Amino acid sequence: MIDVQDLTIRYGRTRAVDHLTFTVKPGLVTGFLGPNGAGKSTTMRAILGLHTPAAGQALIDGRPYTALRRPLHTMGALLDAAAVHGGRTARAHLTWLARSNHIPLRRVEEVLDEAGLHQTADRRIATYSLGMRQRLGIAAALLGDPQALMFDEPLNGLDVEGIRWIRDLLRRLADQGRTVLLSSHLMNELALTADHVIVIAGGRLIADTPVDALAARFHRDVLVRAAHPDRLAEVLRAHGATVTPGPGELSVHGLAPQTIGELALTAQIALRELTPRTATLEEAFLELTDDHPQEARR
Amino acid sequence: MTHAWDAIAAEWLKLRTLRSNALLLACTLLAVLACAAVAYLIGRGFDTQTFEERLRFTGNGTGLGPGLPIAHFVLGTFGALTITSEYATGMIHTSLMAVPQRQLLLAAKIPGLAAVTLPAGQLLAFAMHLTAQSVLGERAGQILLDGQSLGIPLTDPGALTTLVAAGLSMTAAALAGLGVGATLRSTPGSLVALALLFVVLPVAVQALPAPLRAQVSAYTLAALPEEIAGTGGLLPPPAAAALLAAYPLLALTAGATAIALKRHKAAVLAAGAALTLATGLIALPATEAAPARHLAWHPCTTPGLPREMRCADLRVPLDWNHPTGRTITIPLAMLPASGTQRRIGTVISIPGGPGASGIDDLTQYQGRLDPLRRRFDVISFAPRNAVTPGGPLPHECLTTGPYLPLPRNRAEYAALARTNRAHAERCRAADPELFDHMDSASVARDIDALRAALGEPRVNLLANSYGGHPAAAYARLFPSRIRALVMDGTTSHTEDTATGEPRLYQRAERQLDRFAAWCRTDPSCALHGRDVKQVWRHLVERADRTPIPVRGDPDGTAYTGFDVKVAAAPSFTSPGREPDRPRWVQLADAIAKAADGDASGFAAYVRQATDRPKVPSPVGQNMTRCLDGGGYTGYAAYRAALAKARELSPHFAGQRAWWALACAGWPAPVTNPPAPLPGHALPPVLGVGTWTDHDEVATTIRHVPGSSTIRYDGHGHMAYLNSSSGCVTAHVNRYLTTLRLPPPGTVCPATG
Repeated sequence: MIDVQDLTIRYGRTRAVDHLTFTVKPGLVTGFLGPNGAGKSTTMRAILGLHTPAAGQALIDGRPYTALRRPLHTMGALLDAAAVHGGRTARAHLTWLARSNHIPLRRVEEVLDEAGLHQTADRRIATYSLGMRQRLGIAAALLGDPQALMFDEPLNGLDVEGIRWIRDLLRRLADQGRTVLLSSHLMNELALTADHVIVIAGGRLIADTPVDALAARFHRDVLVRAAHPDRLAEVLRAHGATVTPGPGELSVHGLAPQTIGELALTAQIALRELTPRTATLEEAFLELTDDHPQEARR
Repeated sequence: MTHAWDAIAAEWLKLRTLRSNALLLACTLLAVLACAAVAYLIGRGFDTQTFEERLRFTGNGTGLGPGLPIAHFVLGTFGALTITSEYATGMIHTSLMAVPQRQLLLAAKIPGLAAVTLPAGQLLAFAMHLTAQSVLGERAGQILLDGQSLGIPLTDPGALTTLVAAGLSMTAAALAGLGVGATLRSTPGSLVALALLFVVLPVAVQALPAPLRAQVSAYTLAALPEEIAGTGGLLPPPAAAALLAAYPLLALTAGATAIALKRHKAAVLAAGAALTLATGLIALPATEAAPARHLAWHPCTTPGLPREMRCADLRVPLDWNHPTGRTITIPLAMLPASGTQRRIGTVISIPGGPGASGIDDLTQYQGRLDPLRRRFDVISFAPRNAVTPGGPLPHECLTTGPYLPLPRNRAEYAALARTNRAHAERCRAADPELFDHMDSASVARDIDALRAALGEPRVNLLANSYGGHPAAAYARLFPSRIRALVMDGTTSHTEDTATGEPRLYQRAERQLDRFAAWCRTDPSCALHGRDVKQVWRHLVERADRTPIPVRGDPDGTAYTGFDVKVAAAPSFTSPGREPDRPRWVQLADAIAKAADGDASGFAAYVRQATDRPKVPSPVGQNMTRCLDGGGYTGYAAYRAALAKARELSPHFAGQRAWWALACAGWPAPVTNPPAPLPGHALPPVLGVGTWTDHDEVATTIRHVPGSSTIRYDGHGHMAYLNSSSGCVTAHVNRYLTTLRLPPPGTVCPATG
C-alpha cells in the first residue's frame, strides 16, 4: 500500500505537486495518469525519498521510504531505465543492487530470467536497446521480491512482445496481491492494463477511480441508422431519449441500445446500424485534463 | 550496522565491475613516467657538468616530485568519478533507492576507495621512487650543497616514511576527490577543481617570491609526504599528518553536506567541521613549540653588515665562577633561516684567532651559508676575547707585543719572561679582571649562555681554526648539549703544547716540500731553477750566525734565523689564490733577497700586516692562548721541545717555540689547560681539514667514536667558510642537517 498524503513539492516557487492525496491499493494495477509535466515523476520520486516534500508525506506500508532499512525488499521501482552505468554488465548491476540490500544472489538469476535477459546478462549495458534497459529496470525493481512496485513509463521503447510481457507481469503481480503503480501519459497504454487510475494534471488530483467507472462516466450516445429516422426519433423521444438528428443518422442519448432495438422492432422500423458510442479512455482522459489548463500549476 | 556492511559491499562491487576504473588506475603510470622523465633530464644535464657544478644541482629528493601531482590528480579523479558518474547517468537515484541513507551511501564508498588506493598508492609511490632512482643510477649518490644527495635512497632516514606517506597521500587524494565529486556532482567540474587543487596550484605557487612560495607550497598535498617524514617542507610532521587527514575530511564534509537532504545539511556540516577541527586539535599540541626567545633581535645598525643580518646583545658574567658578579656584553649576529624549509635549529659559528669576531666571518662568508640557512639560523658573535676597537682593553696594545728571541739559556728565557709580562701588564692595566678571564672555557660558557637564551636544548657548533679551543671546552663542559660539532681547521686542545709540536713541524716540512716542488715548475718563483731547500737552509744558518739586516730600516732591524722562520711560516702555509699563489711568489722573492743579504723582503710584508719590521707576538692573542695553556711549563720543557724539534725539523726547528714562548712570564695563570675530549659522551664529530690542518683536526677528534674527517686536497684554512669547495659545503651541510658523516678517508678535490 502506497499512501500519498497532502503531498506538496516545490521547485523554487513553482508547485510541481500541489496537495496531492491518493492511495494505491494492493491487488490492483493502478495507473498513474497525467499529461507530460503533470507531476507524475516528481510524485514517484517523492515516494522514494528522492525529493523532500514542502508539505505532506508519502508512506509505504505506513513508513516513509527513507526509513526503510532494506527498502528493496519492501518496494521496487523503475524510475528511469537510463539511470544505470553503461560500463557495467546487467548481471553486475543487479548484483551490486542485490548486495546492497542483502538479497540472495539467486534472485539476480531469477529476475534475469523473468526479464528475458539471461542471454545478454554479461553484456555491458551500454550495448542495450532502450527496451532491454526497460526490462533490466523492471528486473531491478523485482529483485527484492517487494510487495509494492512502481514503474514510471515502463512501456517506453518496448516492442509489442515486450508490452505484452509487462502487461502479463503486472497482472500477475497484482493478482499475487501486490501493490502496483505505473505511470503513463497515454491513457491507451493503461486501458488494457490498469484496474484503477489516478489522474493528475498540474500537480493536482483530477480523478481517482476504477477504469470501468471512468469509461462509464464518459459513455456518450448510441448511433442509429434507420429506414425512417424521423419516425424512429419520435418513438425514442416518446420513451424519454434525447435525439439529435444528423445526416442519415441519429445520435441517441438516454436509452440503452437494446431498448432502442426493441422499440424499433415494435415500431417496425428497420435498423441499419445500432452502435453504442463509448468514449475511449483516451478521449475521457483528454476531456478530463483539458479542464485543467497548464496555468493551474503556477 | 549490518546494512552498512551491505552498502559497503555493494559499493565495492560497483568499483570492481567498471572496466573504466582499471583503465583510470593504469593512468597513474603517467606519474611513474613523469618521474622517470625528470630523472632522465637531470641525469643528462648532470653528465655534462663539472664536479663543482654537479654539487650545485637541485636534488631530486626521493624522486616523487614530478609524479605526485599527476598521481594525485588521477586518483582524485578516480574518487570523484565514483560519484559523479552516478550523477551523470542518473544512477544516483538507483543508488539512493537501494541505500536511502545519503550519508551512508557516500561513506560506503570510502572503504572501497581506500581498499584500492592504499595498496595502489604504496605501489605507485615505490614504483615512482625506484624508477627515478634507477634512471639516476650511480648519480643518485652525488651529494649536493644543501647536504642532500641528488637522489635520496630508501636507506636514508625519512625516505621510507616519505614514500609511505606519499602512498597515503594518494588515498587522501582519492577521498578528497570523492568529496569534491559529491559536492560538485559533475565530472567536468570535478576534473577542473581537482586539476586546480593538485596540479595548477603547486605549479602556480612556484611563481611566488621565495619565502612566500615555501609557505604556500607547504600546504599543498604534494608537499605533505616529506613534511610528515620531517625531511622537507615547512610544516612539522604532526601538522602535516593532520593536514593530510584534513584534505579528505574537508572535501567529504562538503560532499556530505551537499548530498544531505535540506533539513539535515546544517547538522552534517557541523559534524564534519567538528571532526576536521578535532583533527587539527590533536595535531596542535603535538606540534613543536617555537624555541623561547629571550634575545631582542633587531636589524643591525653597524654599517657594512648584510641587510638580512639581525643583531642582539647577550649579557654574561665576566667571571663564570661568580655568576652574579660583574657582567659583560657579547654582541651577537644572526643570519636567519631562509624560511624555505623547516628550521632544524641553530648553528653557532665559533670564530678563530683567538681574537677574531664571528660577526665578521658571517659578513664575509655570508654567501657560502645560503644552503645551510635553508634549515638553520646561523649565529655568531664577537667573543669576549675579540680584539676589536672600542673595547675595555686598549686595542692598540692588544694588536701588538714584544719581539720574541729564541732564548739560548735560562737567563735569556727569564729576560723574555720579563718582557712578556711587561707588555701584558700594559694592556691588562685597563681592566685586569677582564684580562684574566679571556680563556676559551669562559668563551664556551658564553656560548652555552647563548644556547640557553635561544631556548635551544642542543646546539650545532661550527668551530673554525682557534675556535676549536672554545669548542673543545664546550664539549668537555656540556657534551650532552651538542647535537652536531664541526671542527674545521681547528687547533688541537687535547694535549699539551710540547706534545703537539712534532706534528706541526712535520706539517711545516711537508709544506716546504710543496713550496720547493712549485718553485721547480713555476718560473714566477724567484728560486726557480735553484735547490730551494738548500737555499733556505743556508739562509737560516747564515742569519743565525749574523742577523741579516733590513736594508733601509732606520732602526737597524736585522733578522735572525728564528726571525726568518717566524716571518716565513704563515706564507709557507698559505700560498694565496690559485693559480698565481701571490704569497709564495712574495715569499720566494723575500728568501732570494735575504739570501743576498737583505731581509727587507720579509720586513715589507710583515710591516704591511703588523706595522712593524719584524713579527711582534700580539698580546691580544696571547691573553687567551696563555690561559688555555699554550705555553711551556718552564725553561726545561722549552729546552726539551727545542731539542726534539732539531731532530725532527732540519728547516724549521724552533719556529713553533715562538708561539709557546709568548706565554713565558704571563701575569695570569692557566685556567683552561688542554685535555682530551669526553669521547663517549659526545655525538660523532665531523672534522674538516686542508693539507696543512687536516692532521690537527684528525688528532683532536680521534677519541670521539664514530667521528669522521673530510680532507680537502689543497692549500688553505677553514675550508667550509673559506674555500669555494662545494664538496666540503655539501658534506658539512649533510652532517649538520642529517647527522650523517662521510665515510672515513673522504677527500674533496681542491678548487683553487
